[in-house]
Amino acid sequence: MRTYLKRSLAILTVCLLVLTLTAGCAPKPAAETPKEPAPAADKPFAGKTLNVIYMAQAGYQPPVFEARIKEFEDKTGAKVNLTFVKYDEQHEKIVTSAAAPTATYDVISLDLIWTAEFAEKGFVLPLDDRIAKDIKKDDIAPAIWSAFEYNGKTWAMPFLANFQLFFYNTELLEKAGYKEPPKTMEELEEMMTAMKKKGIVKYPWSDSWNQKEGLVCEYVWLTGAYGGDTFDAQGRPSFNQGAGVKALETMVRWLDKGLADPNSLVQDEPMAKDAFISGNCAFNSNWTFQYGLMNDPANSKVVGKAKMGLLPVAKDVFKAGSYETASVSGFQGMAVMANTKEPDLAWELVKWMTAPEFQAQHLEEMPVWTSVQQDPATLAKDPVMDVKSKEIAAVHHRPKVANYPEVSSIMQKYIHLALEKKMAPQAALDQAVKEIEALQ
Amino acid sequence: MVGLETSIRRKERPVLLGREPPAGRLAWRLVSPTLLVVFLVSLLPLVLAFALSFTEAHVVRGGIAWRFIGLENYRYYLGNRAFWESLRVTAFFTVVSLAVELVLGIGMALILNQPFFGRGLVRALILIPWALPTVVNARMWAWIYDGHAYGALNGLLLALGWIKEPLVWLSTAVPGAHVPVLGPFLKWVGDSTALNMILIGDTWKVTPLVALLVLAGLQTIPREYYEAARVDGATVWQQFRLITLPLLKPVILVVLVLRTMELFRVFDILYIIMANTIKVLSIYTFEEGIVFGHLGRGSALSFLVGLVILLLAFVYIKLLYSEEVR
Repeated sequence: MRTYLKRSLAILTVCLLVLTLTAGCAPKPAAETPKEPAPAADKPFAGKTLNVIYMAQAGYQPPVFEARIKEFEDKTGAKVNLTFVKYDEQHEKIVTSAAAPTATYDVISLDLIWTAEFAEKGFVLPLDDRIAKDIKKDDIAPAIWSAFEYNGKTWAMPFLANFQLFFYNTELLEKAGYKEPPKTMEELEEMMTAMKKKGIVKYPWSDSWNQKEGLVCEYVWLTGAYGGDTFDAQGRPSFNQGAGVKALETMVRWLDKGLADPNSLVQDEPMAKDAFISGNCAFNSNWTFQYGLMNDPANSKVVGKAKMGLLPVAKDVFKAGSYETASVSGFQGMAVMANTKEPDLAWELVKWMTAPEFQAQHLEEMPVWTSVQQDPATLAKDPVMDVKSKEIAAVHHRPKVANYPEVSSIMQKYIHLALEKKMAPQAALDQAVKEIEALQ
Repeated sequence: MVGLETSIRRKERPVLLGREPPAGRLAWRLVSPTLLVVFLVSLLPLVLAFALSFTEAHVVRGGIAWRFIGLENYRYYLGNRAFWESLRVTAFFTVVSLAVELVLGIGMALILNQPFFGRGLVRALILIPWALPTVVNARMWAWIYDGHAYGALNGLLLALGWIKEPLVWLSTAVPGAHVPVLGPFLKWVGDSTALNMILIGDTWKVTPLVALLVLAGLQTIPREYYEAARVDGATVWQQFRLITLPLLKPVILVVLVLRTMELFRVFDILYIIMANTIKVLSIYTFEEGIVFGHLGRGSALSFLVGLVILLLAFVYIKLLYSEEVR
């Protein structure tokens, strides 16, 4: 019996060893790189391998991304392994890769809400020196750069630019006797009140205010519309004073007056889009994706009536030319993992993928480069580029803090409690700030 | 298979000739792959998670940083209002769902146990909801409950003229908040219109399974009992209460244990429709452990949930089996 036990223990150990070894090998397909001829001078990275993770969801679609990668392989001689995942799966996979001694992924797409976390924990490399050397920094708006800056360093190269815009239904607007969309929050509220009174539309405003990340985004641009930010420059919550309170009070007031659809409390962004394209509401704020869908006759009832414009700001912060609008950012950059073995090659890939000539060819996404946005060729192809360029320069970011998911969860909870009228706006925001401060 | 055959042949050999391997040896050899898998994917993570639950742990570059803090995580939750709120709303969801499922399930089984035309077809058809993936079911109910006029339920009620304007079915308002006693109680357990509506969606999916299990139980009850009861002049209700129900007890026990465990861990339908709004224990655990990255705290919380389920199972078995024996 003894020997038997010993033997089975030995078998078990061997099995375990084999399993861990094979598991450890899996993410390294580099082992069987075919022997290439001696690296030519113009292919400095021949024989090297890079692993890249990217999302197959919003943004440049996989075939476009793959084609661009293929060109990179041909140019540099390097081999690139691409992994496409859903947006929601990225964070977990990147964190797991960071925990490994050698990176599973060398290049990642970095959502701006992870900037602080990844920087603070040292998951990704600062790119300032490389940017200074290789990139025309002033060709990208400071509002975009700042999304990826933390502790005075830049942690990712801007790649995808998503942000919110203002959408309005011209037919309903005209019925109420207005020719132009509102420029200020006050005008907006006045128009909505008029529409409601005349019975043109039951709820003029329908938005994505369910208890999710989207609620924080809406609240961030609304706080911006009253001239403020949710967090101060040091990353301390400041939304329980001034603009933040006005923003939440506005949301609650719109609900009270029946200007905002009570469904907003249970809608996410796609559902808010549905409400808008069904012609059931006059205004909403949403991400860039709504533009394409509202002009699609297969699904939309508002083709030709719906327009996209600048989000309004409050009268007393409105300054023509400098503070006409406020939005919220949903940017993604490309970053290099700190535990990569090929930082130079990784940077080459980042440069290649984020290059202005690539973005100029693919205007289905908003280019981050000012020169591309203002290029006559771009403007000729995209009639709303002008509006988008103005809006993107006016984005406000969500707080840049290392424990962002927890902070966001607290904000979602208390903002939603105020919208449900279970708490007064000021009290809810005070409590949220108190709980966020208790986290640190 | 080959091993089994040889062993059978070996057994036939005269004992005097060969060395007979110990009886357990083959068995061990056969179950060892299973044991290995169970060890690797179930036991090992369980032990690691248990160890983690006594630490403050998070992911850092190149690994996991942890610090032993004893029972601090457990103490954190037991003194945390959010944990008790989460426990209450989970318990409420479990109890109400169970009651509805059992009553409807037994009712359906009783009907399906009667002979009628097309019974076989109906028995097969009722399983369709249960065969739906939970995610599909959740998405479907989200569309049904959409608060606009184009939501299916609102559309139906509007067409019938039962309501004048679309209702917000997934509202987080407490139903009957102004009713004395009931209102404050529902608020205390964390009930909401949304929770009740989702409960209906979940019950719709699972009741057929309960019905099927109960039906299997019903078919083991000999017809003679009922005939004898009828001869003695027992009413239908008496037959149900004195024959059917007591003999169904073992099946009901199985349903109770199975469903309590599943309901207590409910995650998908609530998460898909309401994201993190209705914080039942599983959603709370997922948020703490995975979203916020508190690996230690999340582990402690999942062990607390496991403990509650274990206690419940223990109580059920004690209650129902003791009567069974008697």
